Amino acid sequence: MVSRGQRAFQVVNAAVLTLVVVVTLFPFVNIVARSFSGEQEIRSGQVSLIPRGFTTETYRHVMSDAMFWTNYRNTVVYTVVATAISIVLTTCYAYVLSKKQLKGRGLLVGIAIFTMFFNGGLIPNYVLVSSLGLRNTLWAIVLPNAINVFNLLVMKAFFESLPTELEEAAAVDGASQYGTLWRIVLPLSKAILATMLLFYAVSFWNSWFAGFLYMDRQELFPVTVYLRNLIAGVTAGADQTASSETALQIAASIQAVTIVLTMLPIMLVYPFIQRYFVSGVMLGAVKG
Amino acid sequence: MVQISRRQLLAAAGAVTVVSIAGCDSGDGADTDVNDKKAGSMDGFKVGDQFKATEPLKFSAMMLSNQNYPFNANWPMLVELAKRTNVSFEATAVPGSDYNQKVSVVVSAGQAPQIIPKTYHPAEEAFIAGGAILPVSDYVHLMPHFTDKVQRWKLEGNLAQMSQQDGKYYLLPGLHEAVWQDYSIGVRTDILEKHSLAVPTTWDELTTTLRALKTAYPGQYPFSDRWSSQKPGPGANNLIGLLATSYGTRGGWNYDTAYWDGGKFVLTGAMDQYRQVVQYLATLVSEKLLDPESFTQTDDQARQKFASGKSFVISVNAQTVVNEARKDIAKIPGAKVAKIPLPTGPMGATLSGESRLENGIMLSKKALESKNFVAMLQFIDWLWYSDAGLMFSKWGIEGDTYTGKVEDGSFKLNPQIKWAGLNPDAPKNLQVDYGFFNGVFAYGGSTQMLNSQFTDEEKAFQAEMNKRTTREVGPPHPFSPEEREQAGLWEAAIADYVNQQTLAFILGKRPLSEWDKYVAELNAKGGDKYIELANKAYDRFKGKK
Repeated sequence: MVSRGQRAFQVVNAAVLTLVVVVTLFPFVNIVARSFSGEQEIRSGQVSLIPRGFTTETYRHVMSDAMFWTNYRNTVVYTVVATAISIVLTTCYAYVLSKKQLKGRGLLVGIAIFTMFFNGGLIPNYVLVSSLGLRNTLWAIVLPNAINVFNLLVMKAFFESLPTELEEAAAVDGASQYGTLWRIVLPLSKAILATMLLFYAVSFWNSWFAGFLYMDRQELFPVTVYLRNLIAGVTAGADQTASSETALQIAASIQAVTIVLTMLPIMLVYPFIQRYFVSGVMLGAVKG
Repeated sequence: MVQISRRQLLAAAGAVTVVSIAGCDSGDGADTDVNDKKAGSMDGFKVGDQFKATEPLKFSAMMLSNQNYPFNANWPMLVELAKRTNVSFEATAVPGSDYNQKVSVVVSAGQAPQIIPKTYHPAEEAFIAGGAILPVSDYVHLMPHFTDKVQRWKLEGNLAQMSQQDGKYYLLPGLHEAVWQDYSIGVRTDILEKHSLAVPTTWDELTTTLRALKTAYPGQYPFSDRWSSQKPGPGANNLIGLLATSYGTRGGWNYDTAYWDGGKFVLTGAMDQYRQVVQYLATLVSEKLLDPESFTQTDDQARQKFASGKSFVISVNAQTVVNEARKDIAKIPGAKVAKIPLPTGPMGATLSGESRLENGIMLSKKALESKNFVAMLQFIDWLWYSDAGLMFSKWGIEGDTYTGKVEDGSFKLNPQIKWAGLNPDAPKNLQVDYGFFNGVFAYGGSTQMLNSQFTDEEKAFQAEMNKRTTREVGPPHPFSPEEREQAGLWEAAIADYVNQQTLAFILGKRPLSEWDKYVAELNAKGGDKYIELANKAYDRFKGKK
C-alpha cells in the first residue's frame, strides 16, 4: 500500500518535473519551429510550437554554401583533435596530482590553479601564438586551451577517491605505473572520462574566438565563425545587397536555423554518454 | 571561450601603448624622407595617370569578408587589378561580424598587415600613441588624386576635424563630393491623399499633419518610430538626429558632447536648440501624435505597427523604404509609402556637412619599412581616390561588367549581372561572382558616380536634397592623450545623463520648466569643465596652425 503522503509526493513530483520538462523543452521546440517558418509569420509573432508558413529556404541558403561545409568539417576536426589531446593531457596531469606521495605536488597544483586567476591577456597571447608560428594551424586552437583547470581538479578529486588498495594490488601483480593507469584506473573511471569528454567536446564545439583570432583564411574558420558572420551579415539592415524576398526570409529565420544546425551534432552525443552519467551518479550514491 | 569587451581591448591597447612608448622616442621627429623607398613606384605620377608598378608587388592587407559576398582570392576584380597595377594582395580575411576586434588585436600586437582598410574614425585614435600606425597626412603629397579631390571638393575642414593634437591625421578617409542625405521619414502617402493632406515640408507642418491624422484615427498613434537600439542616442535616434540637425545642434545617433557654435564649443545637451528639439518631441508625445514606445521598442515592433496600419509614419533610408517599409505594407490594399524630402526647421534648407568623409585606411608602421612604400601610396591613391579606380572598384570593367559613363548618364550595368535592385533576374552577381562593389574598396566619389547606383525614386529624392546648401563643419579640438582620458570619463557620464533626461522631458516625466536645473546638473557632472577643456584644446590647435 502506498501511503497518502507518498502519493501526494508522487503527484507533486510529477507535476514539478513535468513543468521543468516543459520549461526546458519549450524554447528548444520554439527554435526548431521558427527555423521552418515563413518570414511574415515569424515577424508577426505567430510561431510557437508548430512551424507556420512552412519553408526550408533558409536551410537551403545556409547549406548550399560550400564554405559552410568546409567550416563545418573544420569544427569536427578541431573538436575531435582538441578533445583527444585535452583528455590525454588532463588525465595524465590529474592522475599524477592525485598521488599523495608525490614530491612537489603542492607546487604542481599551485601552478595549475594560478592560471585560473591570472593570465597574460589577449594581446600577449596573440603575440605568443604568432611567434610560435601556430597561427593558421590547428594547434593555435588546440594547444592554448588543452588543459582546463576546473576539469583537471574534478578529475583529480575523482582519482583520489579510488581506493589505493586496488593500485597496490596491481603493483603486487607486477603492473607498471602506466599499466596500472591503463588497466586498473581508467576502466574504473569511465564515468568521469565520459563527463570530461562531453565538457571538452562541447566547449571546443561552441568555441569561436580562438578560430576567429588565430585564423587568417576563410577556409580555416570553424563553423561557429561562419554562422556568427552570417547572422551579422544578414541582419545588418542597411547593407546594399539585402534586397529580395529571400533575403527577408533569411533574415527572419537565420538565427533559428543557425542554432539548430550547430546544436544538432553535439546534442546527438548526449544519448551515448548519458548512461555513464547515470552510473557515475550511482557510484557516488552507493559509496556514500 | 571568453569574449572580450571593448573596454578590455582598449585597456590592452593602452598597455601596449605604454610599453611601446617606453621603447622608442617620441614621434615628433618622424622621418618623412622616402627617397630609399621608391622601388616599384612611378616617376611623376599625377592626376589622371593609370598607376602601374614597375615590378610585380605584393602588399599585405586586412580584408573584411562580408558574408553576403565572402572574400575570394580568385575574384576577377583582383585578377584584373593585378593586371592593371601589377599589385596583388596578401590578404588576412576577417569575418565582418568582428572585424574591428581583430584589427584592434593585431594592430596592438604589432602584427598588423601594411594596409588596414575599413576603419571608422575615431577608431584609429586608440593606436596613435603606441606608434603602430602612420600619420598619413605626412605622406599625402605623394598621393595626387587624394590631394586633388580634397582641394576641389573643399574637404580641408572635414580632414582637419580628424586631426590629432600634433596637427596630423592618421586615417585616409573615403571622400564624398557632396553630402549624401540618406535618412528621412517615410509616410503613408495613400493615407495623406485620402484625407487631402499635403506632404509636410517642415517639422511644424509635420505636427499639423499628425494632428489631422489623429483626428481621423483617434485611437492610434500616427507616428511610431524605430532605430532605438544604437548608442549614443536615447532612442528614436534617427528622428532626434534629423531634428537636431534642422535646429542647429546634434542629437540621436549624431550626438556629440561638444557643438561648435560659431566661435567656441558649447555643451550640446545644454544648448537652447537642444531644448527646442526636446520641446518639439514632448509636444508630439503629449498630444499622443508620437508613440511613446518609439524610444524604446525594437525595430521589429515598430515595423509591425507600420505593417498592420496602426501607424502611418516611420523613419526610413533609401534601403529600408524599399526593402522593409514597402514590403511590410504590401498586404494592406492600396497602401503606399514614400521617403519624403527631409523636413526643414529653423536652420532652413541646409544640410550638415559632417557626413562627407567615409571610413578609411590606416597604414601600419610596417608599411613604412617597405622599400615599396611610395608605390604603395600611389597604388592606394589610384584605387581608392582616382575616378578610374573608383569606377573600377565599384562597377568593374568597361565593356565587360558595364557600358557607358556615369558622367553623361549613359552608364548601364551588364544585363547578365545583378547588383542590389538592378537586374534582379540576372544569373551573375556583381559582388559574389566578380568581387566588385566590395565595401572594402568601393565608397565615396563624385555625386554622379553615387547617382549611378540609385533607383529613379531615390534620384528624385537626392535631386531635392541637393538643392539645399551644405553647412560648414566646425573645427576640431584634439585632446592630448592625458586629456582624452579625463574627457572620456566626462563624456560617458554626460552622455548617460543627457539621454536619461532627454527621455524624461520628452515623455513628460519631468516638466520642461526644470530645464535650467537640468543644465546645472549637467555641469555638476563635468559639463562646463569638459567644454573648458575642449575650448582650450581648440585654442592650442588654432595656435599651432
